[in-house]
Amino acid sequence: MSRLRRWLLLTGVVGGVAAVTLLLAVGLRSGDSQAASPLQGRAAPDFTLPGLDGGPHTAVRLSSLRGQVVVVNFWASWCTECHTEQAALNQTWQRFRNAGVVMVGVNFQDAAGDARDYAARVGASYPLVVDRSSRTALDYGLRGIPETFVVDRHGALVHRLIGPVTADRLAGLISPLLDGSAR
Amino acid sequence: MTATSAVRVLHRWPRGSGLLATLAVLLALGATVLATVGPGAARPGLAQQTQSVAAGLRCPVCTDLSAADSPAPLARQMRRQIQRELVAGVPPAAIRQRFVDAYGPSVLLTPPDRGWGRLVRLMPALVAGSAGLAGVLVLRRSLHRREAGR
Repeated sequence: MSRLRRWLLLTGVVGGVAAVTLLLAVGLRSGDSQAASPLQGRAAPDFTLPGLDGGPHTAVRLSSLRGQVVVVNFWASWCTECHTEQAALNQTWQRFRNAGVVMVGVNFQDAAGDARDYAARVGASYPLVVDRSSRTALDYGLRGIPETFVVDRHGALVHRLIGPVTADRLAGLISPLLDGSAR
Repeated sequence: MTATSAVRVLHRWPRGSGLLATLAVLLALGATVLATVGPGAARPGLAQQTQSVAAGLRCPVCTDLSAADSPAPLARQMRRQIQRELVAGVPPAAIRQRFVDAYGPSVLLTPPDRGWGRLVRLMPALVAGSAGLAGVLVLRRSLHRREAGR
């Protein structure tokens, strides 16, 4: 085999390995960024959902909360990781409820009685609504629960958190939106 | 039972039962007509169209299952959502796009024919072509060696 052919073969092999490595790197990177929602930076999908208690005055319409930072948390009574993050959610609500932040708990694929019992047991005092048709979950690209979305004062979806949140993490995301250092 | 005895049996039924039976038949007919032409009527092909759109979408909570094949509750909701939108007259391409907007292009089971998606689509052909070429080169090389050895 001539020297040129040998070089061509070597270049081909190296090129092939490099291409496969590049594809793998891109694929793995997109797997990591699953936490980044394609909705980020865009208008958060609007919803009008009935309250968990079924009362006429407890329905929540996202667009009516414009001007406030909204934390939308998808949860269910059967979700163990939702139990894990509940204290952090309660703490965040208590800390920011008078600072222009609204927290909305969206109950997902749950039995109404179980959800109400759970909410009473864990002392969730922020607005709780029910997504009976899962339409809102699909609009937000939900992959599982718990998932939490942060919507800024202009109605844009700015953060998505997959899995249980911590109070510090939430505060770190909310505070810049309130003091204007973000956006 | 002869015709006469059948009439006798009918005569033994309580008064007003004939009217009730007529009402029941009319109600059943009405329900059938509503089910056929009413707003919630099952359109011919709607189920197939729903399946067809769902078959192109990945169930977001499953591993390598389409929204059409998955028994997961979220996939079931996706099928319902697709059906609702088809009934509302939304074109299948727009329905798929709504899922892409929420979940990203990874929700499509077949990668889009542009950008990296095109490269992924072409990858099997590229790999097969390269492997074939390498095979031919190796074969030619070994043949040359044999001939040179004789």
